[in-house]
Amino acid sequence: MFLNSWSIALLICGVLVLFLLGLAARSAVRVLLFWDPESDSNRQIRLENEIWLTSTLVEYGLGVQILSLAVFVLAADYFSQSIVGAMCATGSLLANDFGIPALMVKIGGVFLYGYWIVLHQLDIRSPKYPLVRLKYVYLLLLLPLVVLDLALETVYIAGLTPEIITSCCAVVFGDAAGGGTNLLSGLTHGMSLVLFYGSALLLLAAGAVLLAAPRPWLSLFFGGLWLGFFILALMTVTTVFSSYIYAMPYHKCPFCLLKPEYQYIGFAIYAALFGGAFMGTSVVVAEPLRRLEEMGAAVSGYRKKAVGVSLLLLILFTILSSYHYVRYLIVGGEG
Amino acid sequence: MFIELEGVTKIYNQGQINEVVALRDIDLRIEAHTLNCLRGASGCGKSTLLSIIGCVIQPTSGRAAVAGLQPARMPDRFLTVHRRRCIGFIFQNFNILPALTVRENITLPLVPQGLNRRAMAERVDRLLQRFSISHRGNFPAGRISGGELQRVAIARALVNDPPLILADEPTAHLDSGLSREFMEYMAALKQAGKTIIITSHDPQVTEHPAVDRVIDMKDGRIDVS
Repeated sequence: MFLNSWSIALLICGVLVLFLLGLAARSAVRVLLFWDPESDSNRQIRLENEIWLTSTLVEYGLGVQILSLAVFVLAADYFSQSIVGAMCATGSLLANDFGIPALMVKIGGVFLYGYWIVLHQLDIRSPKYPLVRLKYVYLLLLLPLVVLDLALETVYIAGLTPEIITSCCAVVFGDAAGGGTNLLSGLTHGMSLVLFYGSALLLLAAGAVLLAAPRPWLSLFFGGLWLGFFILALMTVTTVFSSYIYAMPYHKCPFCLLKPEYQYIGFAIYAALFGGAFMGTSVVVAEPLRRLEEMGAAVSGYRKKAVGVSLLLLILFTILSSYHYVRYLIVGGEG
Repeated sequence: MFIELEGVTKIYNQGQINEVVALRDIDLRIEAHTLNCLRGASGCGKSTLLSIIGCVIQPTSGRAAVAGLQPARMPDRFLTVHRRRCIGFIFQNFNILPALTVRENITLPLVPQGLNRRAMAERVDRLLQRFSISHRGNFPAGRISGGELQRVAIARALVNDPPLILADEPTAHLDSGLSREFMEYMAALKQAGKTIIITSHDPQVTEHPAVDRVIDMKDGRIDVS
C-alpha cells in the first residue's frame, strides 16, 4: 500500500463524501416518505430547511468527488516514481487490476455527479422546489456509485507495492506493430483526424442551430453527439495529438500531457474537453424537465447557457489539442 | 388580502430544554394600504410576528403568506429579492451605520439592485428632500440628532419603494414630539398606498387617527377580549 499525502487525501475525501451522502440519504428517505409542498405542517417546514442544508452540502461533496478525478490521476503519476517500469500514471494505473476501473468510475462520476448539481441548480431556480423528489431519488441511485468509487480507489491504492513490474505508456499506447495496443488501431491518422474535425464541425453546427431554434430532439442529438465526440476526442488526443505535443512519434500517452515538461497543457486540454462534454450532455438531462410546471424558463435559460459554454469549450479544446499538430504542419518538426 | 396568517406557531429552541413558545396558532388577515398596530406587553410575541411577516424568521408551523406567496419558504434567491423589493424595515434603534454618511446609509439597500450611480443618487436626493435632511446628506450618521436619525431610518426603508413597511417599536426611544412626527410620516405613507405594520405600546402610535386597526396580543396569541 502506498501511503503518502496524495493517497491519504484521496481516501479521506472519499470517506468524508460518503459519510455526507450517507447522511443525505436519510433526508432522501424522509423526502420520499413525507414531502408535501402544499402542507404548512411543522414536519414539512423542518424538511424544507433540512433539504436546503443537505442539498448545499451534497453539492459541495459531489464537487469534491468530481475534483478527485484530477487528484487521482496526479496521485497515480506520483506513484509511478516508485513502481518499476512505470514512467507516468499509465504504468501506475496498470500496476494492478483496479487502477483502470477506478479511473473509469471516476470519469463516469464527473458526469453523473455533475448532473445532480445541475438538477439542484434548476430546482432552486423555481420558488416551489419542483425537482426535490427527483433529485433525492437520483441521489439514492448515486450512492452505490460513490461506494464503488471509494472501494475501487481503496483496493487500488492498497494493492500497490514497489515490487510490481508494470509497463510504460510507450508500450501501452504504442503502435500495434510495436507490440503495444493502439486505441484506434483500425484507423489511420488521416481517418482519425477526419472523424475528429468532422465531429467537431457537426457539433458546432448542431449547437448553433440549437441556440437559434431550440428543439427537444435537437437537444438529445446534441447531447448524444457530445458523448460520442468525448470518447473520440480522448482517443485522438492519445493516439494522434499527443505525439506532436511530445515531439516524439512513438510517444503516445494521455497522462504525460499533465507533466511540467509539457507546460501542464494536459490540464487545459482535459478541462476544456470534460467541461464541454459535461455541459453539452447535461442538456439531455435538463430537456425533459421543461414539461414540469414552472420549469420552462429555467430549463430554457440553462440550455442556452450550457450549449453556449459547451461550444466555447469545444473551440478552446480543438485549438489547444490541435496547436502542436498544426504548428508541425506549418513550420515542420525543427521549429 | 395582502397578508394572510393561518395557524402560525413559532417555537424557539424546539425540543430543547429552553424551548419557548412565542406564537400560538395565530390567524390574522391584513388588508393592503392600511396602517396597523400590534399592541401588547413585552414578550407577548409582537416582534416575532413582525419578523415572520417580514420573512426574517420562519414559522414553526402554519401559513404566512404575503400577496398569496409564502416567500420565507422559497429558495434563498427568491426570499432575498422579496425582502429587498417588497419590505422596508424600521428598527427600534434604527440600526443606522454611524461611520457612513447619511447619504450612504440611505443608498445601501439600493446597491444590490444594480442601478447606476446616477439613478441611485437621484432616488436618494428625492428622499433627502422629502424628509428635509438634504443639508445633512454628507454628514456621518453618527453625528446627527435623534429626530434626523429617525428620518434617515424611514428614508432608508423607503428607498426601494416597497409596498410593505414594518416598524418594530420605532418610537420607543423618541420624545413625544418626534413620536408625533413619526406618525405623521406613517400617515402620509399610508395615503401614498403603503401597507404599514407597527409594533408599539405607545398611545401616541396606537391611538393616532391614521391607524386603521390595533391588534392586541397576549401570551403569543391575538387577544380578542
